[in-house]
Amino acid sequence: MFIIRLAGVRIRVENRYSFLERQCREYVCSGEEYDFSVSVTGDEILEEQKHGEFSEGYCESICMYRNICEKIAAYNIFLLHSSVLEVDGRAYAFAARSGVGKSTHTALWLKNIPGARVLNGDKPLYRLEADGSFTVHGTPWNGKEDWGMNLSAPVAGICFLERGEKNAIRPATPEETLNRLMHQLYLRGGRASVNQRLIMMNAMLESLPFYVLSCTISDEAAHLAYNTMRLQSN
Amino acid sequence: MRINPDFTIQKVGASYLAVPVGETSKQFHGMIRLNETGAFLWNQMTEKDCTEADLVEALLQEYEVEPAVAKTDVHRVVELLKEHHCLV
Repeated sequence: MFIIRLAGVRIRVENRYSFLERQCREYVCSGEEYDFSVSVTGDEILEEQKHGEFSEGYCESICMYRNICEKIAAYNIFLLHSSVLEVDGRAYAFAARSGVGKSTHTALWLKNIPGARVLNGDKPLYRLEADGSFTVHGTPWNGKEDWGMNLSAPVAGICFLERGEKNAIRPATPEETLNRLMHQLYLRGGRASVNQRLIMMNAMLESLPFYVLSCTISDEAAHLAYNTMRLQSN
Repeated sequence: MRINPDFTIQKVGASYLAVPVGETSKQFHGMIRLNETGAFLWNQMTEKDCTEADLVEALLQEYEVEPAVAKTDVHRVVELLKEHHCLV
């Protein structure tokens, strides 16, 4: 058992396997106080193991994050599958169906944009602030590349990626933003938690700029995305 | 028919999203998106047990729409909800 701090919330993780402790070490905090505690049942681990040949420790980690996401909604925090880069204190997020090239595009930013760092490559937490703005927070759940750091930043914008013949970026319409967000938002859980996440999704639609980037695998794609999102959010 | 109590509905942007919650969410992952009319019919079926004819009647009272159009709309929404296990 240990306490971690995620998006400003102190969570007591009641684990059975050491996998989680190693995974979460950069997020462990001192003290006995916590906002909520979370655990995983043996049945949940067994259920998760049906999806593939994974260790108990790995499955416990997957289930633990799912349970954290359900409870943390009460703190105006939710998971949106995305890859997030931080440049000069601001966060730039990319969302896409798996296989479209989030990781490839993220790597292009690291190569081309001076000072760019990956805040989280797969499962960051977004927090709705009192003023209606959004911040995004690193988590120990980083995706298969294990790209990420314990860092937070205000969100400059969210960009949906598509593969294209040439590079072009445009604002996403509210209609398509909702369609695409629906695929990336993690929504399992109890009624209160699901309602809270839908309310945050609505707030996100109203307050953040969304884009659609049609791109090739090229340095130009990274420059185009960064220059557009940076200027629009200033 | 009535709305499955293991669903919640919220307005997001210009649409309404209906999402399974609790145990139901472990079996059905899909969420559905409804427009204003769909959400109106949803609310009717949350309040009481309705037949398609009841829903057509309610729609005609609320909106200025041709009866034939109302009938088609109701049937389309009901089929969509059935498909997504939203009705009991």
